[in-house]
Amino acid sequence: MTQKILLVDDEEGIRKVLDISLSDSGFKVFTAETGKEALDIFRKMRPPIVLTDIKMPGMDGIELLQKIKQESPDTEVIMITGHGDMELAIRSLKFDATDFITKPINDDALEIALKRANEKITLKTRLREHTENLEQLVREKTKKLVEAERLAAVGQTVAGLAHAIKNITGGLTGGTFVLEKGLQLKNEKYLREGWDMLKGNVDRLKNMALDLLNYAKERAPDYHLCDPNRPAREVIDLMIPRARENDVSLEIESDESLPKVWLDPEGIHRCLLNLVTNAIDACINVDCTQRQGKVVLRILKTEGWAVEFQVVDNGCGMDEETKEKIFRRFFSTKGSRGTGLGLMITKKIIDEHEGAIEFDSEKGKGTRFIIRLPEKDQSTSI
Amino acid sequence: MAKRVLVVDDELDMRIFITTLLETSGYKPLSAVDGKEGLEIARQKKPSLIILDVMMPRESGLNMYRELKNDPEMKNIPVIMVSALSKKTFFHSQKVLDEYKGEKIAEPAAYIEKPPEPDELLEEIRNCLK
Repeated sequence: MTQKILLVDDEEGIRKVLDISLSDSGFKVFTAETGKEALDIFRKMRPPIVLTDIKMPGMDGIELLQKIKQESPDTEVIMITGHGDMELAIRSLKFDATDFITKPINDDALEIALKRANEKITLKTRLREHTENLEQLVREKTKKLVEAERLAAVGQTVAGLAHAIKNITGGLTGGTFVLEKGLQLKNEKYLREGWDMLKGNVDRLKNMALDLLNYAKERAPDYHLCDPNRPAREVIDLMIPRARENDVSLEIESDESLPKVWLDPEGIHRCLLNLVTNAIDACINVDCTQRQGKVVLRILKTEGWAVEFQVVDNGCGMDEETKEKIFRRFFSTKGSRGTGLGLMITKKIIDEHEGAIEFDSEKGKGTRFIIRLPEKDQSTSI
Repeated sequence: MAKRVLVVDDELDMRIFITTLLETSGYKPLSAVDGKEGLEIARQKKPSLIILDVMMPRESGLNMYRELKNDPEMKNIPVIMVSALSKKTFFHSQKVLDEYKGEKIAEPAAYIEKPPEPDELLEEIRNCLK
């Protein structure tokens, strides 16, 4: 019997070459250009092996891997990675990819990877035949599988949380240690550094708790008739020290002539705080910006809306992949310093206001976030 | 003279913590924020031990580790990996990389998952520098 294999790559050339070489090796090859198309074909054809590129526009290889593994954990997924994508490749292993091979694709490497995938499949099949003889066991197993699927969703959330908390505990443990050494040795430098570490991580914990509470709460905004400049000014006052520490200029362009607006001051404060924090972080990122970092928070009136807030930075900007994912929970580009909650909650609060949030961003140039809140009359908001 | 130990981690908190641990235990800490800077300092200062994070922007710890182990002058410096990556994932990645590059890179002297406990880390440091 010929074995089915699904080949996913956005480059036509690679699809063609691999198609030929895989067909020669006796595979029945299906090809897909995008993650979405791949998933459709996968569902129809159920190939036991999937060979996918990691970097693709839209749904990338890692997301495809996760989706396939969710639907069919036994499918062997081999990742194709570009030179220098080692971090991505390793991430894919975390999600249970069988293997990865690097571009340009070496025939021997491909053969080894396929052989390994096949060995795994044979092993799994044998194991399954063994167990499935026992009808009772099968029934239990099915029941457990359903249960497991339900738990997987919960598990993902909990795992994301646990990871964020673990990072903060790491900082707290370190801070406590440094502070203790400072006390023991009466060393001013240790005292100060340890204290800063503790303070910083307590702040992170506090923010995460606030974000989580906001996330958990299904609630209508607590509307007040407010000067829209006020929450913006509060956020600027809060963030000035942090901006200064990192040599980023932080400015507000308020409009004192704006009429009062119905909004939830705490919620909007949270949103602006998240956006300004991100904007400053984007300017600090030494990787991609050498110029003087600058963040501007603008409050203005736009046609059709009660008020518009803009947060503009000239920091590192986002690539297309990042742009697609920023509102997802636990998605973060800040490594262990980010929880992946901030923007998701910002969007939730704005949605609850029936407002709009949008952004434009260019890699290496900067990012602009825009929040717009609708007109509300008093009668509808009591 | 106090032995030099190089700490490579992109996170400020982690660098302060580990350098303080080293300083107060009688070692001379050096620090670097990524693999590139780490290699430069390692080459110049020839530390007795390197404590290395895996996931860092710019040059990662994975690359730095392989470069260290392929450098005749530095390959004998013991390395303790401290990373948020699970031990299993790290060793698997090493195996796969070994296969593709057709080389066999020695395992690190120790592997500690983040966040590291001070006692645990200090014990590994002492073991390496005995």
